[in-house]
Amino acid sequence: MKIALCTSFSPFCLGGARNIVDWLELTLLERGHQVEKICLPHVDDPKLLFNQMASYRWVNLPDSIDKVICFRPPAHVIPHPNKVLWFIHHIRAMYDLWGSKYCPMPNTEEARRFRKALISADTAALNEAKKVFTNSKVVSQRLGKYNNVQSKVLYPPLFQAEKFHYARQNDEILYLCRVEDHKRQHLLVEAMAHTRTAVKLRIAGVSGSPRYVKRLRSLIKKHGLSDRVVFNNCYVSEEEKIELYASCLAVAYLPLDEDSYGYPSLEASYSCKPIITTTDAGGVLELVQHNTNGYVCEPDPKALAAAMDELYSDRDAAKKQGVNARQRIEELDISWDNVVESLLS
Amino acid sequence: MKVLIVNNMEPFVWGGGEELAVNLQRNIIAAGHSAELLRIPFAYNPPENIVSQMLMCQNLCLNNVDKVIALKFPAYMIPHPNKTFWILHQFRQVYDLFDGRPEMQELKKLITKADNMTFSGASRLFTNSNITKDRLEKYNGIKSKVLLPPVNQPELFTGGDSQAYIFAGGRINEMKRQYLLIEALAKTPSNVRLIIAGPPDTEKDKDQLLSLAEKLEVGDRLKLDLGFLPREKIADYVNGAQACAYLPLDEDSLGYVSMEAATAGKAIITGADSGGLLNLVKNDITGWVVQPDAFELASVMTEAICNKQRTLEKGIAARSLWNSFGATWPKTVERLLA
Repeated sequence: MKIALCTSFSPFCLGGARNIVDWLELTLLERGHQVEKICLPHVDDPKLLFNQMASYRWVNLPDSIDKVICFRPPAHVIPHPNKVLWFIHHIRAMYDLWGSKYCPMPNTEEARRFRKALISADTAALNEAKKVFTNSKVVSQRLGKYNNVQSKVLYPPLFQAEKFHYARQNDEILYLCRVEDHKRQHLLVEAMAHTRTAVKLRIAGVSGSPRYVKRLRSLIKKHGLSDRVVFNNCYVSEEEKIELYASCLAVAYLPLDEDSYGYPSLEASYSCKPIITTTDAGGVLELVQHNTNGYVCEPDPKALAAAMDELYSDRDAAKKQGVNARQRIEELDISWDNVVESLLS
Repeated sequence: MKVLIVNNMEPFVWGGGEELAVNLQRNIIAAGHSAELLRIPFAYNPPENIVSQMLMCQNLCLNNVDKVIALKFPAYMIPHPNKTFWILHQFRQVYDLFDGRPEMQELKKLITKADNMTFSGASRLFTNSNITKDRLEKYNGIKSKVLLPPVNQPELFTGGDSQAYIFAGGRINEMKRQYLLIEALAKTPSNVRLIIAGPPDTEKDKDQLLSLAEKLEVGDRLKLDLGFLPREKIADYVNGAQACAYLPLDEDSLGYVSMEAATAGKAIITGADSGGLLNLVKNDITGWVVQPDAFELASVMTEAICNKQRTLEKGIAARSLWNSFGATWPKTVERLLA
């Protein structure tokens, strides 16, 4: 099949939807399809939004392409008779974040009309698609609520997930992702001050916020935790990452209200490790079930400390939860087979 | 510096322009900068969608980019305050290939005006050949400097011992006229061999060569390696050849096939009507320029194989002429980013 994958991107910024698109491309190529990736630039500025949507609308793709799969907005407005969407988020400032501090527009009559126009353009483009998939329940709910569009959740898998494996249980809780305010590594450092066992914490990852890195370092120092907390503010290679997951006791992932479950949760699950998260983590709760494949705690250092101590003290229970975490992936049918079958059928 | 290379994309088509963009990116990174490639879809058909695709490019927005290097119509219309043009070609259907059809008249006016506006503010404007340069001056009244595209991965084309075959690489289609070489081969002595390697544009192009080879019974002296080949494989064919042949009809540029041959120090056979190639292929000096017919071709193919010493000398001359143009990636990147 000739398949075009369409998305938007910001030049010279990694992250965003790049993983999901790049991995799907590799998967489709492996299965003998022809793939062309179409990534167009997008600047996140309401004043330029409609011009850019018009640009995307003017993309002229030949009918000879068998399937066009669109990801990040405004790629969903690209016209094609065989369009399928894997919709990963709205322009959120105009949707669920409207009126919040994350919305740059004042709540004026003009802005409200602007928002209405966007929602109706989005709805029209969504309705053109042969099928609409999302990456999480919360995105599906928003599509229903704001656009009255039905969609199906299609969980994004990891690429080459089989590289992740279980090796042993050391004494560390591992938190491996970008070091940022909203990922809340500080909650875990504070939790360490409340633990009663010899449990350890390892935080690693790059950061866009030197201020937050400094805050973490001073927290570690303040609580006298430097012998039990390792903080590596650096890039972790794929090999190191696999090894860290294989050896840790459990994994923590507690972002504030994220849409999707996040790749760290999947990496933990493939390594048969329990996941510690919080009640306000958003999409992570679609994967983690309390006391089955991890802990869903109140976002509070003491509650997190209790979970960490329990995992440290009862290794058999921790191991069992890890096995459940691996099974949870099958339960939710998070696999490339399912993705390819859903998108191409 | 963060450099964004902006090119067109025809989905599922890969050719010289695409290779150039990828190698430009690679070489900008090698020079210590960051570089990404933006490929904007563009379809010539239907013509009534051309204007909207110009608007598509004009309404895209960029930030976090220090410099844009823009290569083709209409992708080069993307707005950016620091844009360098390296024009590979314009929309020829409204310029030198304009056929006077009334429905194209309006489009011709509109594209000419839009091109003029796009280029008018440009401080850095390069074209890839004298022909592109002359066209831009003739139709838009705009002056540019020629910046020849370098050979991609020149380190592969080292040259080497010549075996008794002539190599014809590149895309295979009616305009590149590989079939003429097969017809010529049938008229050469039995010690002349020919290798044709490259991707046929269509099944018809492929079948034409296969049936011609069968009909003329030259199968034992002809190797057809049809398909998209790895660069290393192509370089092996070039490095082992005694001479190379490339006969495109009226090509704009020097042609990658002939540039790679010259890099490897191989003499080149081309046609008197091959356009830009004549800047590199000088008759009896760096190769042979002949009328594109089987008889003349057969005679120079025979000479290329039978007079090995003279052929080798021409190959050396081809290499030094190419080197004298100074088209290397480091220099090219330097000029584009200056």
